[in-house]
Amino acid sequence: MLVQVLLQLAVVVTLLTLAGIAVIVGRYRLRDTRREWASRLRAATPITVVLIVVLLGNGVARQVVPDLSWMFGWNLTWAIYDIEGQFILWLQSFETSALTAFFSFVYIYGYVFLLVFPVVAYFALSNTRPLRELLTAYTLNYVLGLVLYTLVIAYGPRNMMPELVEALMYDTYPRYQHLTRQVNRNTNVFPSLHTSLAATVGILAYQTRAVYPRWAVVAVPLAISVAISTMYLGIHWAIDVVAGIVLAYVCVELAGLLVGRWSVTERFDVGNPLSRLR
Amino acid sequence: MTDEKTASPGRPRSRRAVLAGTAGLAVATSGCVRQVRTVVNRDAVDQLSVTIVTLPADGDREGIRLAREVAAVLEAVGVDVSVDMRSNEEFLRAILINHEFDLYVGRHPGGTDPDFLYEALHSVYAEESGWQNPFGYANLQLDDLLEAQRLADGEEREAVMAELLEELAREQPFVPICVPEEHRFVRTDRFDGWGEAHPATRLGYLELEAGDDVDRLRTAHTDARISENLNPLTAEYRDHEPFLELVYDSLATERDSEIEPWLAEDWTYDDGTLRVRLREDCRFHDDEPLDADDVEFSYRLLQDTELEDGESPSPPPRYRGLAAAVDAIDVDGELDLEFELDAGEAVAERVLTAPILPEHIWTERAAPATVRGVSVAQGATEAVTVDNVPPVGSGPFRFGSRTEREHVTLERFDDHFTRREDVDLPEASVEELRIQIDPRSTSAIELVSTDSADITSAILETYVLDDLEPAPETAPLESPSWTFYHLGFNTRRAPFANARFRRAVARLLDKDWLVEDVFHGYAAPTATPVTEEWTPEELAWNGEDPATPFFGSDGELDVEAAREAFEDAGFSYDDGALRVRR
Repeated sequence: MLVQVLLQLAVVVTLLTLAGIAVIVGRYRLRDTRREWASRLRAATPITVVLIVVLLGNGVARQVVPDLSWMFGWNLTWAIYDIEGQFILWLQSFETSALTAFFSFVYIYGYVFLLVFPVVAYFALSNTRPLRELLTAYTLNYVLGLVLYTLVIAYGPRNMMPELVEALMYDTYPRYQHLTRQVNRNTNVFPSLHTSLAATVGILAYQTRAVYPRWAVVAVPLAISVAISTMYLGIHWAIDVVAGIVLAYVCVELAGLLVGRWSVTERFDVGNPLSRLR
Repeated sequence: MTDEKTASPGRPRSRRAVLAGTAGLAVATSGCVRQVRTVVNRDAVDQLSVTIVTLPADGDREGIRLAREVAAVLEAVGVDVSVDMRSNEEFLRAILINHEFDLYVGRHPGGTDPDFLYEALHSVYAEESGWQNPFGYANLQLDDLLEAQRLADGEEREAVMAELLEELAREQPFVPICVPEEHRFVRTDRFDGWGEAHPATRLGYLELEAGDDVDRLRTAHTDARISENLNPLTAEYRDHEPFLELVYDSLATERDSEIEPWLAEDWTYDDGTLRVRLREDCRFHDDEPLDADDVEFSYRLLQDTELEDGESPSPPPRYRGLAAAVDAIDVDGELDLEFELDAGEAVAERVLTAPILPEHIWTERAAPATVRGVSVAQGATEAVTVDNVPPVGSGPFRFGSRTEREHVTLERFDDHFTRREDVDLPEASVEELRIQIDPRSTSAIELVSTDSADITSAILETYVLDDLEPAPETAPLESPSWTFYHLGFNTRRAPFANARFRRAVARLLDKDWLVEDVFHGYAAPTATPVTEEWTPEELAWNGEDPATPFFGSDGELDVEAAREAFEDAGFSYDDGALRVRR
């Protein structure tokens, strides 16, 4: 079941990315990329390694975090519910099967595309700074997100109000449960990492709108849709989404400060075997 | 402060007058302070503020809904309420081990025989951790009845039980809400015999007949805890499932509330003495022999996991009631035992359903558990805290492998006595039993429909039942139910120690309406925690609650009447808020 869902996801995202390359990146940038890929890769290698290490560490930590949280964390579900309570219900009152299908698609496929495509698009730029900023911001999202997950225990709306907030996606499309279960624990809803990563891409897309005007037009609405989908599907509270946006802003700002300051390649001029091969 | 008037201000005074004045002042002040003290030293009576502990929808969809309904009616009568959702094991840890709750809503394991109430309510267990009296309830009259029903048999026991249930309905140490129906979804093309025995017991799986070429039974289980901990003594990780019964044998096994021989070949009961004979040549999964010493050891461990005959035993959080009925055990050779019991025949036979643990593995677990740098609570022995992976029992299945939150795989134990020619008991018909963890009822059903599983082994949530469509290869399976939803009070905390208060709370719940609204009708409202056959006529459900009728109708609470009831019980309102001394 999981393999099938993953395969489907891979196919859809690949198709979307190919379409994006054709429409957004364009032929000339691809041509340059073929010439310069090695040096760009070298520039992006350090942060990529850091990101991979963080992701692997994250996978391990996620097994431990729930136990730690129950020992030390704050359980904020009721406080959040007390503050905003009815908002999610109001949002779900617009439910139609078309909207459910749209937001389920956005939550799974749109989200993964939103994270994957800018890596490709920024790699196609001669200036590697956007790429390095993007990867740095991703890394920060995962690190800071994990810290917050450890400190805060919160269940999402679907766990609090199962009869009102339909867990729309999981009951309409039970197979997705197999996918998201691999990634998420149900006590980890504050902040919404879906929102923060999507917003990170959205903010960076806005910053690079001069280079990729079309991407900005796609990414910003898509990022907003991802944020809404998490609430519409009863997975996150509005507060989680707001926290996600704040986290995204912090990560982008920090990434802007960090990139270039600790540039490993510039400081030590690390010889890259790939460059010698040329 | 009437004395103030005697001192006239603004006039020069003689020394004597001053002295007299000072004394007068002192007298005046002391009177004043005393009065202030009597005013100030009365503790302010605040609005009652309570927390209801329960599971989130992923753990118990009906539980969180009940908890929110309870919260709503309590708020209506002026109580400040919050709901605290916890994961499966954290929920049980809070209510059973640490007693960290005001109120909780959840499912009680209950029992086919009402003797489970002894464990659930006897006052000597109020300080212990586990399913034994989590309410901290103490009532000497009820204690007497609980003890009397243990010793009685037949009609006498029924009479005592009726009296006991009356007292329980009056006292409401917890509010029984309803008995949920148990539905599962099974594949009928690969296995026959679903429902021959209850699917939450070992026989439910052993009675299955595998089809041709079928050598594997696959279950889709919605509760991940079985993959995290396999210790039969740990309360937080155990639920209504049969898997550890398949790994650990007990002397006897239950079928349709009758007790049948299992590891014991047979037994005789005579006035408090139970003579048990074990089957010959039984072995544990690690090939060590199982003899009478292991049996005696198991019951000793169930009485005190520290294995000391000391004054303050550390009993495990499960099987406490059963083990308490045992006064002494005499081992007579390798196969014979003599139980001295404080119980009549009915309860004596139930005592034989506790798991038999290998002495050579569990002896060293009698030591207190240790975590470096942390002081561990008294009684937290290794035996009750260890995750027990791999479990070594003597049952029809042995442990194969597991991945946390993914699966547990059991393999058939070919040396099990049920596989002997001369033993006429149901045996495992497959070589492998794979418990696949799948977190939602809907996706578990999909696994059965798509031939990736043979049964949804945990109880299905009621909201999916209307959409279950039987196909030629699949069918819904309904089984008798003895678990029940209840509202538990922590009677250690004010005002829940007060039976009048508890009764008033019980009358806020419209059980009929809750069953329709929360359980989609797949439950039966109840006024007692026991099965129907044990419910006396006066307490049988008759369209409304015979013990604590609802204030209102159709889910609409008559708030005025309810508030009056709290006032009649001696509590007061101020500005709409229920004020309670705590």
